[in-house]
Amino acid sequence: MKIILNGVPTVVDAHSGDVVVDVLREGQGLTGAKAACRTGVCGACTVMVDGVPQASCLLPAAAAREREITTVEGLDHPVQRAFAVHDGLQCGYCTPGFVVEAAAFVDAWRASHGDVAPPRERIAAAMAGHLCRCGAYQGIYAAIAAACRGEHDGDAGVPARVEAMDKVTGRARYTTDVRLDGQLEGVIVRSTRAHARVTAVKVDAAHVIDLLPPDRIVRYAGQPVAAVAAPTRREALAIAEGAEIGYDPIPAALDDAPGAPVVYDEHTRKQAPSASEGLELPGPWNGNVHGPFTRASWRGRTAVKRIEAARGAADPRLVTGTFTTAVQVHTPLEPHACVARWDTGGDLHLYLSTQSVGLVAEQAAKRWNLPAERVHVTADHVGGAFGAKNGITAETIAAVELARACGAPVRVVFSRADELTDAGNRPGTRTTLELLTDDKGDLAALTVDAHGRGGVSVGSAVAVFARLMYGTAPRRLRDYDVITNEPPGTPFRGPGAPPMLWALEQAVDEVAHRRGEDPIALRRRWDGNRKRHALYDWAAALPAWAGRAAAGSQEGRFRRGIGVAAANWAYMLDPGTEIELQVEGDVVVARTTTQDIGTGIRSVIAEILRDELGLPAERVRVEIGRTGTVHGPPSIGSRTTTSVAPAVRDAARRLRERGLADGAKVVGRRRRDRRGYVTPIAVGGMALGRGFSGAVHVTEVEVDTRFGTVRPLRVWAGIAVGHIYAERLARSQCEGGIVQGIGYALYEERHVDPVTGTVLTANLDDYRIPGIGDTPEMTVHFHQDGWEHVNGRGVGVGEVSTIGVAASVGNAVHNATGWRPHDLPIRPDRLLEGMRK
Amino acid sequence: MSVPTDIGEIARRGGEFRAGGTDLMARHPAGPYVDLHDLHDLSGITWQPDGSARIGALTTVAELAGDERLRAAHPSLALTAGALATPQIRAVATVGGNLLQRNRCSYYRNPSFSCHQSGGDSCPARTGLTLYSAVIDTGPCVAPHPSSLAMALLGCDASVEVHGRAPFDVGELYGDGSDPTRDHLLGPGEILVAIDLPPPVPGERAAYHRAIARSEAEWPLVEAAARLVVSDERITFAAVAVGGVARVPLRLPEVEEALLAGETLDHAAARAATRCAPAAQNGYKVALLTGTVLEVLERAFDAARG
Repeated sequence: MKIILNGVPTVVDAHSGDVVVDVLREGQGLTGAKAACRTGVCGACTVMVDGVPQASCLLPAAAAREREITTVEGLDHPVQRAFAVHDGLQCGYCTPGFVVEAAAFVDAWRASHGDVAPPRERIAAAMAGHLCRCGAYQGIYAAIAAACRGEHDGDAGVPARVEAMDKVTGRARYTTDVRLDGQLEGVIVRSTRAHARVTAVKVDAAHVIDLLPPDRIVRYAGQPVAAVAAPTRREALAIAEGAEIGYDPIPAALDDAPGAPVVYDEHTRKQAPSASEGLELPGPWNGNVHGPFTRASWRGRTAVKRIEAARGAADPRLVTGTFTTAVQVHTPLEPHACVARWDTGGDLHLYLSTQSVGLVAEQAAKRWNLPAERVHVTADHVGGAFGAKNGITAETIAAVELARACGAPVRVVFSRADELTDAGNRPGTRTTLELLTDDKGDLAALTVDAHGRGGVSVGSAVAVFARLMYGTAPRRLRDYDVITNEPPGTPFRGPGAPPMLWALEQAVDEVAHRRGEDPIALRRRWDGNRKRHALYDWAAALPAWAGRAAAGSQEGRFRRGIGVAAANWAYMLDPGTEIELQVEGDVVVARTTTQDIGTGIRSVIAEILRDELGLPAERVRVEIGRTGTVHGPPSIGSRTTTSVAPAVRDAARRLRERGLADGAKVVGRRRRDRRGYVTPIAVGGMALGRGFSGAVHVTEVEVDTRFGTVRPLRVWAGIAVGHIYAERLARSQCEGGIVQGIGYALYEERHVDPVTGTVLTANLDDYRIPGIGDTPEMTVHFHQDGWEHVNGRGVGVGEVSTIGVAASVGNAVHNATGWRPHDLPIRPDRLLEGMRK
Repeated sequence: MSVPTDIGEIARRGGEFRAGGTDLMARHPAGPYVDLHDLHDLSGITWQPDGSARIGALTTVAELAGDERLRAAHPSLALTAGALATPQIRAVATVGGNLLQRNRCSYYRNPSFSCHQSGGDSCPARTGLTLYSAVIDTGPCVAPHPSSLAMALLGCDASVEVHGRAPFDVGELYGDGSDPTRDHLLGPGEILVAIDLPPPVPGERAAYHRAIARSEAEWPLVEAAARLVVSDERITFAAVAVGGVARVPLRLPEVEEALLAGETLDHAAARAATRCAPAAQNGYKVALLTGTVLEVLERAFDAARG
């Protein structure tokens, strides 16, 4: 069959069941278009067919016969540069689809309207078929508007990221794009039962590997059972579909009822994975309930005594409430993916979509019994992670074992259903909170009981984080895990904090509301943190805040409200971080074992080097995302930039001293902070530094009481993380944090069938992440003082910028309507019900 | 427009008929596929002297949304077409495919479940997640009907042409919703070739609304289209159709009659609730249904008054 591919008549091989994206990617090696959802929802596969953007994941190959296909690789359009300059991308995985669509839109717009910027709604409508999980929508709006104004017809503007042009042209290669000679495709066979002993696995394949735990028990529907490989994905899928698994059923716990069947016995509890990040919360077990963990309490008995007395006296100053949150799924647009190859010398090569290149190499060496230097990990570009791609996960095990069994490289790429079912999630929670104020309106006592529901995982640490807020008033904080036969949780951007803040920040708002006190003023009184004081002052001075209406004072269908929420977060770092600089010809090459998952660390390194060494851009090259060099941090716990950047400065200083002669090589280190760290020694490459980062989010919404919808209009984010190394990239991360927080507040909810435990929201139609039209206008304010003791004076921004957003939305809804939402997401049914009461 | 001579032969071939493929390729039935896209005569809108129109089944949704004459003559249809799915899907998806697509129930779409629609004999949604289920109970299956265009066409008194059969009302394509095994009533080998629209109603104004949580690109919780003619503040013509609430798209004659009898828009819209029988989690759809009907009535009424 013939097509005109990027202007060149091309004969392609296609079957009746093939879709265009596979013909392009597998047949033609054009990997710009990404098959990220395969249901036409995310738009990452968009190509032009005779000039019209179409979702190539649904486009039958037969429909492309004799037609002109333009992929991102064949696109040469001003809007690509506009995306690069305005940072309309982070991880870049959705970018090829966005720019193809945007190119068609910009051309059509300029042809009919001239070189003027379209209204925001027009851009949103045109881009409605594209999803960006990083939430780079503000940059995308700016890029498209600028391209429509004709500002990028020439070469004007500097890309915000060093790899931006690779990402807007489809040149950037992600793990899903890797294709090695003789490579096979692997697919994971998953349990269809929520709880069963597997008695037999019959698979019609030459190569099958076992993925069951030692006790042969599957504990959730979707748990890996085995993996198979075949020359093509289609064949592997067919084999997996035909697999016959024998189950000896065990009753499943699919709710938190006290009489639910037990998921783990005393011997198997140890194998429960954890949803928290390095925070092990020991506690007793009682059936499926693990906990309480109470050690984060402070004068807990005093807190309880005061609250009981207040309850007995029906004290109106006692604010109580139960708040729930839904399970949120990371669902990065690049799914979990691994290509594994064993070379003839027995070395293991992993191409992996990961946020921890170094850690994965260590774990792989241990698991497969290899010396560290014989494991080689490559993650040149990573299409988002958000916590879900840390360490070795099922796709890696499957690819490595299959590659060994087959004697050939094997690629395992999760389907979107895999990704939405068993690739990590933020556990659902139920938090009961009681908060008492004294005569002076100060915090007198606080109790928080949090029940996390992370399926078969433990470690849904929520209440513990209430220790970090509002001084030293007595508080009893209890964390419980309720184990069910559902897929496990995984650390997710600020694990534990969003549900805690959803409860606490609304309770604090309620106190202010009942006292008739300005919620920002009250927080300023309660919060001893100087950095956050500066943010409160900034927030209180926002004209929108000063002009807001009293809660519940509005009548009529549309009601606007403004809410605030504060947040703080630990400062973590990897104190062992190093960076190697080598002069190659007249180019300085920087290497460390870290990775860019969309945060922009590659660009931060390049920018510091250019500044410190006075070099033009073309004389600096950053090679990260690979093992074989010095130690660098995993991109978890907001630690990448604060760990790497000071080491880069140190290395630059050493190289300056040494001189930039060809071949010169130095290693820079991240020197200690003044007064050291809270943790005396680094555990697992992680140290807890001194001080807390802070954020204050002010959010304006419009509630449509007829339809129960909440439209976020504007968000102002005040962020106190000290020195900002790269302003545009830090701002992009904060904007993305707001977008994800809005998703958590309003749309995102994993549904599980209550009878079978099967995840129902296994596609991006049913699991709803925010689109460009849901994006508010955003203003980010950085308060940069207060981190003088930190080497480099700046700490991480990734988590603190998202954790309080949902609470600010909740408070804004209350301000607009007088009704306080308690359950996330704030769905239309809940809002309609709340307004009816 | 003549029916292509080889359509009979295509109809005899076994397999899944494939037009734009936007629903089919997301479900990946086993095939083989029988492509219809070479039946070029089935594409486009043909206007008759009396103002009636024939829309070829392979006309894309984007063509409907963008057709100036259609927007003037049958605004509810064009508005609906412009609001469904996303630009990339509308560019490819066809009218025929839209009318004959399969439902979006997350149980039906999930290979782990068997249900009435996939050869089974139960409805797992009824004992499971009913948040998005039909709120008007017409039979064992509770998946809301997926086609927005079917709803709009029902409101336009359109009829459909199926190869080898006399034209019939679009509603008959779906029946009364009592058959839980299928989303439309065409038999194997039957090909939808065109939609016939009656002449436009002079002075008609219309509105479409899709109640969703996000701003764009979501399957409707509830949707509605209204067509009104207003003369001296009185409604002289009314057609109201709704979707997302039942196994089939529905006309609401009770609302139409109330409007013609001079009831307020509020009161007329409230009549939409009378048929509802909510399940455990979808009681909100009753309020959403009356709200959505009121929304399209208000908008169409305001437009009709000028």
